[in-house]
Amino acid sequence: MNLAFKDVRYHFFKFVSSTIGVSLLMMMVFTLGGIIRGVILDSSTIIGAAEADLWVVQKGWLGPFVEISRLPEDYYHGIQAMHGVAEASPLVMAWNHVEHPVGTSGLMMFMYRNAQFGTRTMVEPHWLDMARELRFLLIGYEPDHLGGPPMIVAGRHIEASHYEIVADVRTGLQIGESIRMRGFDYTVVGLTKNMVGFNADPVIYARLVDAQNILFEPDPDLLRNIRRRTGAQLGGAEAVAPRLMEPLARQASSVSENLHMINAIAVKVEPGVSVEEVANEIRHWEHLQVYTSAREVNIQLMGANRLILVQLSLFRLLLLIIAGVIIGLLTYTFTLDKIKDIAVLKLLGTQTRRIYSMIIQQAVLMGFLGTISGAALEFASEPYFPRRVSATVGDVEQMLVIITVISILASLVAVRRAMQVDPRIVLGT
Amino acid sequence: MSYGQGRTKVDALKEVDLAVNKGELLAIMGPSGSGKTTLLMILGLVTTPTKGQLILDGDNIYDGRTRDFQKLRREKIGFIFQFSNLIPFLTAEENIMLPMDLVGITGQRAHSRAAELLDYLEVTGRAGELPERLSGGEKQRVAIARALANSPAMILADEPTASLDTERGLSVMRLLRKLSREQGTAILVVTHDERMIGEVDRVLQLVDGRVVSDESQN
Repeated sequence: MNLAFKDVRYHFFKFVSSTIGVSLLMMMVFTLGGIIRGVILDSSTIIGAAEADLWVVQKGWLGPFVEISRLPEDYYHGIQAMHGVAEASPLVMAWNHVEHPVGTSGLMMFMYRNAQFGTRTMVEPHWLDMARELRFLLIGYEPDHLGGPPMIVAGRHIEASHYEIVADVRTGLQIGESIRMRGFDYTVVGLTKNMVGFNADPVIYARLVDAQNILFEPDPDLLRNIRRRTGAQLGGAEAVAPRLMEPLARQASSVSENLHMINAIAVKVEPGVSVEEVANEIRHWEHLQVYTSAREVNIQLMGANRLILVQLSLFRLLLLIIAGVIIGLLTYTFTLDKIKDIAVLKLLGTQTRRIYSMIIQQAVLMGFLGTISGAALEFASEPYFPRRVSATVGDVEQMLVIITVISILASLVAVRRAMQVDPRIVLGT
Repeated sequence: MSYGQGRTKVDALKEVDLAVNKGELLAIMGPSGSGKTTLLMILGLVTTPTKGQLILDGDNIYDGRTRDFQKLRREKIGFIFQFSNLIPFLTAEENIMLPMDLVGITGQRAHSRAAELLDYLEVTGRAGELPERLSGGEKQRVAIARALANSPAMILADEPTASLDTERGLSVMRLLRKLSREQGTAILVVTHDERMIGEVDRVLQLVDGRVVSDESQN
């Protein structure tokens, strides 16, 4: 006869309502875990999907996903020719934005209003006005080479030589929709998923040449200004070296208009070749810096996202401790309600371990059910979060072990109270 | 047997010498503070006497050997309380099966024994009910059935009629008398209700921890 289950059956509503409280708390624990994993995935998915082993950038710069370095485009030919390199692809990537109304669902609008209301005392007027710009990470790549969108969830890959883009679904852009960048309209021909930068800005993929035009083409007014200044400087040089005037003017003009720049080179190493060996070879190049994909992820996580990860982890730990305290208090309250019954059980000769087991089993059952239902709630609510939240079955399994230990520890206070119950209280009353 | 408690020692029981036979129904009476409950606690193995002997079913309990009092209570003693004190989250049948479960009798054997006791105490139809849905008399019958479940050598009843009206109280006492005779169980009833005297075999009067009279009713 399982006394714990019989008691739960009797106090069903009380037990279920208490378990719902625990499950909501556990939902928060899972959500925070999911947010942490989301940050990690946001920092690693693009890098993983590119299938590159090494990332080459300008000397002294961090990887292309956190800092924008510049390299001449033709550098990649040299790397491509190195021993052990299967493929080297030039990439352009930088954060950009366009004027675009932010599409919001009813739920998103509710959360936005809630954020506005909740932070009224913290912000100046208009600080929380609805965003009017669509921010994104623009990646320019050569089709059929490294760095492009790994999957298309709707539409198709880029096929035309110009003015086609593939956007992450989080941009809110639809297939067929156009956005204007640098005076040209770019049409969305395909949608990809989960491709975001480390700060969760969605990615837009374009052909390399289009991305170069968008990111590196100087403003026409600026260009005119540079030409005027260059002309004035050359005017001074004319008296000294008149024969050099023409080539100098041509070179100055081409530098100011040079679009053949890239931000990084993605490198795939041949099977069986050591990635570190190739990286060491590239390090011999005077103007280049090279990072492995793992180091790239590490730079994002432990650089840009370190503090938020630590803060979220700490908050998650606090919630777990609170869950333990609440389970302990609930179990203690349940035990207080049963003091007389425990006295009767003791008087009838019930084995001590059986009484304590009843208390511990109830705490563990509450923790177990709270964890399972909390996980179910978290899984159901994941799609409604504005940033990626990704809890896994592995998280649930791990949490079940942790919560079992916490529940046992939490119930010890109640067990101690049960130990103090004197069976004589039911005699003479 | 004697029992004293506290820094300023007060002897709650003084040289109480009592033998109860199998099948005997004994009433322990006396005013408040006379030592009735203390005697019940010593007999129920929840309080140890300061000095003296307790022989239960031929076994000298305080002979210096270490004993498992919980086990002795499970196997040798049944308890009936003033307010029945049934476990509220167990049905009538489960309350009866509980003492059996504690000694390892489970399954069909326990169900059969519970059904037999429910039938014997005329509460068969209430087997699946929780205590809160039973009347006062039904609760006491189920409590008696629980006390009988393991066929103990002795049943200790603490004011079993106090919460019942006269008619139901007498009914319970008659039931206890019937049980003691038919089951051969020694039943000790602590009561202050003199209306019940006519139903018992013997009355022990306690005053200030001393036995002042011990009379058979026949």
